[in-house]
Amino acid sequence: MLMQLGLTRGLIYQAAGTVLGMVVAMVWRLLAGMELWDQEVVFVVGGLVGGFSFMWGVGAIDDWLEWCRGKATPLVHGPPRDKPAWTRYFSTDYNHKVIGIQYSVTSLLMLMIGGSFALIFRAELAQADLQFLGIGMYNKLIGLHGWAVIAAILLGVGGMANYLVPLMIGAEDMAFPRLNAFAFWINVPGALLLLASAFLGGFDAGWTAYPPLSTQGSVGYQFLFLAIYFVGLSSILGSLNLLVTILTMRPKGMDLFRIPIFCWAVLATSLIQLTATQAIGTAFLMGLSERALGMGFFDPEGGGNPILFQHIFWFYSHPAVYVFVLPGLGIISELLPVFSRKPLFGYRWIALSSLAIALVGFLVWGHHMFTSGYSQYLRIPFMIATLLVAVPTGVKFFSWVATMWGGRLRFPTPMLFTLGAISVFLLGGLTGPILATVASDLYLHDTYFVVGHFHATLFGGFVFPFCAAIYFWFPKITGRMYNETLGKLHFYIMTPAFWLMSIGQMTVGTMGMRRRIVDYDPTLGGGLIEARHLETTIAAFLIGLSILIMIYNLVTSAEIGVRAPANPWRSRSPEWQIPSPVPEHSFAAPLQVVGEPYDYGLEEEYVVMDESQAGHTQAH
Amino acid sequence: MSALAADAIEVYRTATRNNRMGMWLFFFSELFLFGGLLITRFALWVDEDGHIIRPELDQNVGLIVTVVLLASSYFMNRSEVAIANGRKRDFLVSLWITGFLGVVFLLGVVIFEWGLIQLPFIEHHIGPTDGVFGAVIFGMTGMHAIHVITGVAFIVVVWRNGRRDVYTEERHWGVEACAIYWHYVDLVWIFFYPAIYLIGHAVH
Amino acid sequence: MRSNYRRHFLYAGILVVVFTLVIQWILDLSLPLPAIQGSAQSAAIDNLIGQHVWLIAGAGALVLVIMGYSIVAFRARPGEEDEEGDYFHGHYGLEIAWTVIPLIVVAIYGVIGTQVLAQVTAPQDNEMTVEVEGLQWSWRFAYPGHGEFQTTEMVVPVNQPLLLSMSAVDVLHSFWVVEWRVKQDLVPGIVTELRVTPTEVGEFQLRCAELCGLRHAYMLADVRVVLQEDFDAWINEQLE
Ligand code: HEM
Ligand SMILES: [Cu+2]
Ligand SMILES: [Cu+2]
Repeated sequence: MLMQLGLTRGLIYQAAGTVLGMVVAMVWRLLAGMELWDQEVVFVVGGLVGGFSFMWGVGAIDDWLEWCRGKATPLVHGPPRDKPAWTRYFSTDYNHKVIGIQYSVTSLLMLMIGGSFALIFRAELAQADLQFLGIGMYNKLIGLHGWAVIAAILLGVGGMANYLVPLMIGAEDMAFPRLNAFAFWINVPGALLLLASAFLGGFDAGWTAYPPLSTQGSVGYQFLFLAIYFVGLSSILGSLNLLVTILTMRPKGMDLFRIPIFCWAVLATSLIQLTATQAIGTAFLMGLSERALGMGFFDPEGGGNPILFQHIFWFYSHPAVYVFVLPGLGIISELLPVFSRKPLFGYRWIALSSLAIALVGFLVWGHHMFTSGYSQYLRIPFMIATLLVAVPTGVKFFSWVATMWGGRLRFPTPMLFTLGAISVFLLGGLTGPILATVASDLYLHDTYFVVGHFHATLFGGFVFPFCAAIYFWFPKITGRMYNETLGKLHFYIMTPAFWLMSIGQMTVGTMGMRRRIVDYDPTLGGGLIEARHLETTIAAFLIGLSILIMIYNLVTSAEIGVRAPANPWRSRSPEWQIPSPVPEHSFAAPLQVVGEPYDYGLEEEYVVMDESQAGHTQAH
Repeated sequence: MSALAADAIEVYRTATRNNRMGMWLFFFSELFLFGGLLITRFALWVDEDGHIIRPELDQNVGLIVTVVLLASSYFMNRSEVAIANGRKRDFLVSLWITGFLGVVFLLGVVIFEWGLIQLPFIEHHIGPTDGVFGAVIFGMTGMHAIHVITGVAFIVVVWRNGRRDVYTEERHWGVEACAIYWHYVDLVWIFFYPAIYLIGHAVH
Repeated sequence: MRSNYRRHFLYAGILVVVFTLVIQWILDLSLPLPAIQGSAQSAAIDNLIGQHVWLIAGAGALVLVIMGYSIVAFRARPGEEDEEGDYFHGHYGLEIAWTVIPLIVVAIYGVIGTQVLAQVTAPQDNEMTVEVEGLQWSWRFAYPGHGEFQTTEMVVPVNQPLLLSMSAVDVLHSFWVVEWRVKQDLVPGIVTELRVTPTEVGEFQLRCAELCGLRHAYMLADVRVVLQEDFDAWINEQLE
């Protein structure tokens, strides 16, 4: 049974491929007259071959291999014929709904793994001095936490986009279903390499992996670099697919200013992912080759420059923070009108503000490097550009509250999380300008204040909206309702706990606590710092608990929840006009757009199905 | 033409349109990879006074491989035009020449430029560990070579399928994709070549 | 329109003002800066942070109040479960306003930020150079012009503008004395500079603010700011 799962086969292939790659590298070295063992080279080749072997084993490239042999492979949707239906979730499947769920579940898994790392070092930080965690271990956990949750966020973004975009624009599937499956599965060897790096000494320069520290540490860095290469490949291919889908597969009458607003967020996000991701790939590839082949990009000895890495790294990683949050902000814009029973205020402005944020986001990376030692004068344009991002971000906030104003608000769990998201993202966004202004950043940079800032943006921009999305579309996915009481419990634990945690982080930051330190001076902040840290740790554990409540809720409700009607929220969006759970072929007939997406309060619909065309499936 | 066949050709056209867009988006993405490498080159190859410099390399090798690659693009174009007009033989021969020239380019880079085999008449070998010169040269030519290798593999696949009559006048997206990919890789080299060999004053 | 917006706007407006003050007060408590302003740069930076706190309070109150007000005033009351909200799509004037006004605010903060930056980085005529070297995981200081010696604690005269000329031996480090506020990375291969004028006599701690490997958390050095006489005496002591 287990052997019938693509996942199992993939894992076996990956293990075998890794060994094979290592052997090949060693044989090559022997033949070339070098010493047999060089861990840097051997592990890189092993990791690389292993990763692609996984893709082969899981079956994600089967069809393409057939194409190379000149055979056409028809796209069959549906559960596997000769195996139980659930196995499709553990194998290569081309249906975007399956892939969306694969992404989302993997995301939750990574979120919990990454979160657990954080709880470990949060426990250590509850008191000054060293308690149970070694210094080296601490330094490795922070980086691992960072990348595990970033991977989780990227997966979550992919999950929401893959599941929702085709449904929202009435498409049969994504433009390239096979590429879609490939883009999901490549994350799995990526995530495995990331976690496996811990067994090769880990990486102890934080998630940013600045050289020269990262070009000196243990071989675990190589697995990190490879892992991010794989995850990045997923981002690029996935975003390409989403762009083509949104641009070409809309039904008649759905012009770009009539798509559900979430699709605009995905459009902006995908533009960033498609392009900026290459930069982190380049930066990490340079780090990888500096380690493995002695190519001195960042080594000052031969003329290299460590600051160059920071530039390339942040050219990706700043826009990447918008990748993390824009889809979440899209979810907020999507849910507010439904629960306010009122049109989205300023649709076009919200849509275009996503694009504006994405584009301006390419010009601000220098704000992470105000103290790094690059040209003094360049800091000012980076400051101005960063402050400018506040403008389109503000447009979103104002439009949201204007959407609520004058509505008939109701507050089931998804709406609560939407409101929570706005409040938390507000905290994160507003603490941005203080960091963007160079002089104040000279104090706050690399302190816990920054940690507070980006946790607020990432929770407000991703975690809260992701929870909202999960609760909101749970009935559409499973055909059953989640447990409302547990959902609210989750919210009422997580929100105050998060505020406590985030503000606690900012507090210790202004007191003078640096980031990424295992031990702090208890006399800081007039001796009050330890109490703040203890609170923060307790809050962090409460957040963990609340996430467990959500998982419990989701798992049990999928089995025993009450059956959900097709449209429990009375939404106008296309995916709610079809049965729950969504049938294999989502739409029985092509969509026709007859109104506006958010005209709550008006009689006419947004979309209707063109029954005369029933049975006519669209082309892929 | 039956309704079914008309439907099928319509499906193919839509799919090809999407494929084409996907391909161009991929190129757009890769622009940032090659652009990043170019920026690295101009950031690292400067002397203390901020003047742009370059290493002294064997100019003959650089010029020859560049000409070879440009010539290959001509044959690739010829091949695509041939299949669109149904001239199968021309299509296959041109494709074969493209692939051959691609391999010559690769060998030129790997053997002569990288100095995998040290030959007495090639001067100024630089190894990957030779400071920023080595790092950038091997970074740029290496990343480009990976693309050429995949391009050659693509050509081999298309050539084999072409012999088995997979492509027709109307349906040859595979050939088109291969061709634009090859031209793209070629185009990248047109930027890389001057950046490595020509711009800045040579130092050793 | 069913609701009496004018009354709602009035109430919400008053609440925004009240909450701006409340949030500003909370933030002042939550974001305590170190009591000692140990350098000429400290006050300017603390002021800038203070101005930003007002911005956070004002903008935060605006959004939170309107949101909270809507939650209370525009909730679906029992019996209104099937009712829809008021129908309006947008408002051109409002959209323009909340694009242009933030633009102006941002421009103002940009100007203030540039001025403060110029102020805290301005070169002085009578600067004293201290050479700072960071290495895993300790600090070394040299005093060019005062003799050929290196120390592991930093001793400087009060009210003397300093030009720190810094270099890293192995990996990135960052120079930071909390009471002086400003910080600057040390980068292998290049020399970075930091200007600071200590204004308070006392003993402080230099902490490395850029992750630099295993003992980064403990990469500290003592910093003593002393009177000029004491500094001269200390120099003589070092020269012996
Ligand atoms: C849109 C959501 C945002 C996200 C997800 C986000 C995320 C982040 C992250 C992850 C960092 C820390 C990077 C590091 O040092 O490791 C960071 C730092 C920073 N953010 Fe944001 N941010 C957001 C919005 C903003 C806004 C609106 C601004 C300014 C208007 C801003 C300005 C900054 C600055 C200046 C830093 C650098 C602080 C420093 O390291 O000294 N951010 N942000
Ligand atoms: Cu940023
Ligand atoms: Cu350090």
